[in-house]
Amino acid sequence: MKAVYSTTYIPMSSAEIELFLLDLVDVIADALRAEPFTAKPVAVVGDRMVAAHFTGMETLQRTVEVLGRALLFTPELRGVDRLAEKVVAVLGALGARFATAMRLDAFRQQEEIKSALLQAKQGVERVLRVSEARFREVFDSSVMGIAITEPDGTVVEANEAMNAILGSERSLIGRSLPRHFHPDDAEVLTASYRSVREGVVDRFREQRRLVRIDGEPAWVYLAVSVLRDADGEPAFHVTMVEDVSELHLMQKNLDSLLLRDPLTGLSNRQHFVTQLETVHSRSEHGITLYHLDLDSFSLINNGLGHDTGDRLLKQTASRLRAVVADQDAFVARIGGDEFAVVVDNSPTTPGVPTMIDKINDELAEPTFVDDRGIAVTATIGVLDRPSPEWTVGQLLRAANMTLTLAKAKGKRQWLPYDPHEDARQRAAARVTAALPGAFENGELEVDFHPVVGLADRTVVGVSARLRWGSLGHRQCLAMADETGLSLPVGQWMLRYAAERVVLWREATGVTPLPLHVALSPMQSRDEDLVGAVKRTLDETGLPVGDLRISLHTRAVLIGGSDDNVQVLTDSGIPTGLNDFHGGQDELALLTELPIHSLTIAPATVRALADRTARNPLAHNAMASLVAVVRQAGVSVTAAGVTTDAEADWWAGIGTDAAQGDFYTASRTTGPLAALFQDRP
Amino acid sequence: MELANWVPDDVDTGLPSAARLYDYLLGGGHNFAGDRALGEQFLKAQPNARAIARLNRAFLRRAVLFMIDNGIRQFLDLGSGIPTVGNVHEVARRAAPESRVVYVDFEDIAVAHSRMMLADDPLATIVQQDLTEPEVVLEAALGTGLVDRAEPLGVLAVGVFHFVPPERHPEAVVAAYRDAVVPGSHLALSQFTADLQPVEMAGIVEVMKKSMNPMFPRTLAEITGLFAGFDVVEPGVVPLPLWRPEGLSDDDPAKAGILGGVGRKR
Repeated sequence: MKAVYSTTYIPMSSAEIELFLLDLVDVIADALRAEPFTAKPVAVVGDRMVAAHFTGMETLQRTVEVLGRALLFTPELRGVDRLAEKVVAVLGALGARFATAMRLDAFRQQEEIKSALLQAKQGVERVLRVSEARFREVFDSSVMGIAITEPDGTVVEANEAMNAILGSERSLIGRSLPRHFHPDDAEVLTASYRSVREGVVDRFREQRRLVRIDGEPAWVYLAVSVLRDADGEPAFHVTMVEDVSELHLMQKNLDSLLLRDPLTGLSNRQHFVTQLETVHSRSEHGITLYHLDLDSFSLINNGLGHDTGDRLLKQTASRLRAVVADQDAFVARIGGDEFAVVVDNSPTTPGVPTMIDKINDELAEPTFVDDRGIAVTATIGVLDRPSPEWTVGQLLRAANMTLTLAKAKGKRQWLPYDPHEDARQRAAARVTAALPGAFENGELEVDFHPVVGLADRTVVGVSARLRWGSLGHRQCLAMADETGLSLPVGQWMLRYAAERVVLWREATGVTPLPLHVALSPMQSRDEDLVGAVKRTLDETGLPVGDLRISLHTRAVLIGGSDDNVQVLTDSGIPTGLNDFHGGQDELALLTELPIHSLTIAPATVRALADRTARNPLAHNAMASLVAVVRQAGVSVTAAGVTTDAEADWWAGIGTDAAQGDFYTASRTTGPLAALFQDRP
Repeated sequence: MELANWVPDDVDTGLPSAARLYDYLLGGGHNFAGDRALGEQFLKAQPNARAIARLNRAFLRRAVLFMIDNGIRQFLDLGSGIPTVGNVHEVARRAAPESRVVYVDFEDIAVAHSRMMLADDPLATIVQQDLTEPEVVLEAALGTGLVDRAEPLGVLAVGVFHFVPPERHPEAVVAAYRDAVVPGSHLALSQFTADLQPVEMAGIVEVMKKSMNPMFPRTLAEITGLFAGFDVVEPGVVPLPLWRPEGLSDDDPAKAGILGGVGRKR
């Protein structure tokens, strides 16, 4: 057993091997003993030896040696006839069969290993096929154009996206990629490809232009790398192309976005200023600037919605463009509902009135929104052929000022620039601008004017009024409102007046006269009004019943002052309305709020005085109004009465009191004069 | 061997493989001319190579049966090579039919061959991984569903670590397997050494440089060191004929070429 065992590896224990071999020996012995003799049964021994892996190189030789000796001399077979002959036959059969089985086994194993090899290769191939399929998928479905080119630029592979970028219907394979380089970029691109090919850089990524099949340039990002063969030699270029033409267009558009109004496509204000400067400085025959403001546009936006508003703005833009289409002109949107038209005049340019008519006619054409025709009107300030010396700032200011004046006239108005009006406005503006400084320097003063009872022409009250040099109370208040100073100015005036009145009373011991203070619109809306008034009364010692405050009628109408009226009244301060014109809406306030008195506006008083002879209707109306108001328990004062005759008329219709130049401070005597004539 | 031109180059049959050389030395037919030519050179360098191969295979068998006796029912055979005779699952099953085996090899043909053999076997399979990446191997093995992490594992590294170069840190590789298995798990490891026959070993190293599997013999101390964290069972790390022999053997331990042993994780 040892003889065969050591020649090969048999996966059995020694005991197992011994049993196995003894079994085989039995088969052989049986065959030798059998009559008639045949060697055939021994063949199976060869099969079983090979199957059990007794297949060492020397196994057969050793088997024959061992068996030959053992079989011939074993006592068990001693009686067998012609034993030697039979043993030779048996060993021969065993050998033959062993050899055959070995050969078959070798074939089987070779088949197996080849099959394994095949499978391994197929496995590798499958992996390759999968990776190829993956590559295909990426290649085909990529939104990036991909082209694989030979070092000379000939395309060997290109995907659909690449075709699309170059606008090619046919495959690019076989074409030259460098032929699609933009002439301006060809040189630098060729150099970049070379540096990748030569390994100077691994890849490059640049924004360049390619030329499409139709000759149009395409802006692209190119990412280019190189594929090397097994020897490291450059075999192919891989060019990835991202079409950024749109991006590029957007970049270009960005500039115009900054210059254009996105809704109408017109120049925006910034661009308008630049354009205006250019045209103005180059103009031969001078320019004309139309500054338009759409009338009541907020009503359209609020009432019909911003979509409708936007449509009308677009419509207006295109119509204005149409008006100046055949002229050297441009249109801009320079504010929410403001447009500008600048015409560079030529000898044939229509005059301003013609142009205004054309603009008005165009705008009058209704735009239909939900079957409803809507037309806009515009108010226009016109600056015609301003001096070439003027700066853009001056042009804009002058046009704006003219527009503001035109708007004051109403809707669908236009005005040419008026240098005198301009000068006046500018002077007023300068004065207004100086008010804060004047207030700071104590240049504002408080004058006292008598409030005269019309029944017997006696002084029934003291009205405190602001004065700054030659500017009177109303102008001072208007400027204070404009500069945002009205609250501190108002508080200062109230305190000053109260202190003076208290001092005056103490000095003269006269019957107390109530102090009248008329507030501006902004002062009327002051949320801290009641608090400020109470503090003043506390600190000055003026009795609460001796103060009469009147709020501005318009301010109360607009709202925001209702609380002030109510709380002042609740605090024991009789509260009235000033600047009352007599409108229905104003009258309605009397029923809504605890109004103690009202003061007819000087403008209304003046208007009635001017028309005394001509307009009985207005006078009758005022008479009825005064009667009705007084019936309601509200006292009425007329402000700005200038003559005794006027005063008489007001007295005649039952008016309680009047203020104005008809009763000048100089008419006062005694202790009153001390207050009214006191001018430091 | 002439390859049809559709065969991709990635499966390299031109370079002999240790797995097929081993098969040849064991008297198998799963080899190519290149393997057999290398085998002849191997035999010239180490005339006892066939016996050494047989001894190594026999050691594998005895080690598996030893582990079965110690309750191991799941095996991870690292570097299993060509399935020739006396494969782990066959040996294990004769003693414990429920044994599960995951073979691990990296070489395409060995893996393909093993797959063919194990195609219909529910309790044995092969994963194609590099045994020097224990985390990957273990994950793949767990992924087969045949290995239970909570159960002691028989890790077999028989005749394979002499292919792991020093720069792959064989001690760290073994340690990673050790750390991943539960106590009671076993490691059987055998590998070539130059301690016994330095001249022949040097010859083998030269020969194997021409294969895809160069060899790195290790000293007894180095091999014993690979068992760090394991209690090495009797008789320790020894020439293979001396490891728990089954009765008669006239193999000379001094010419056995390979040292091996079995350890039990503490």
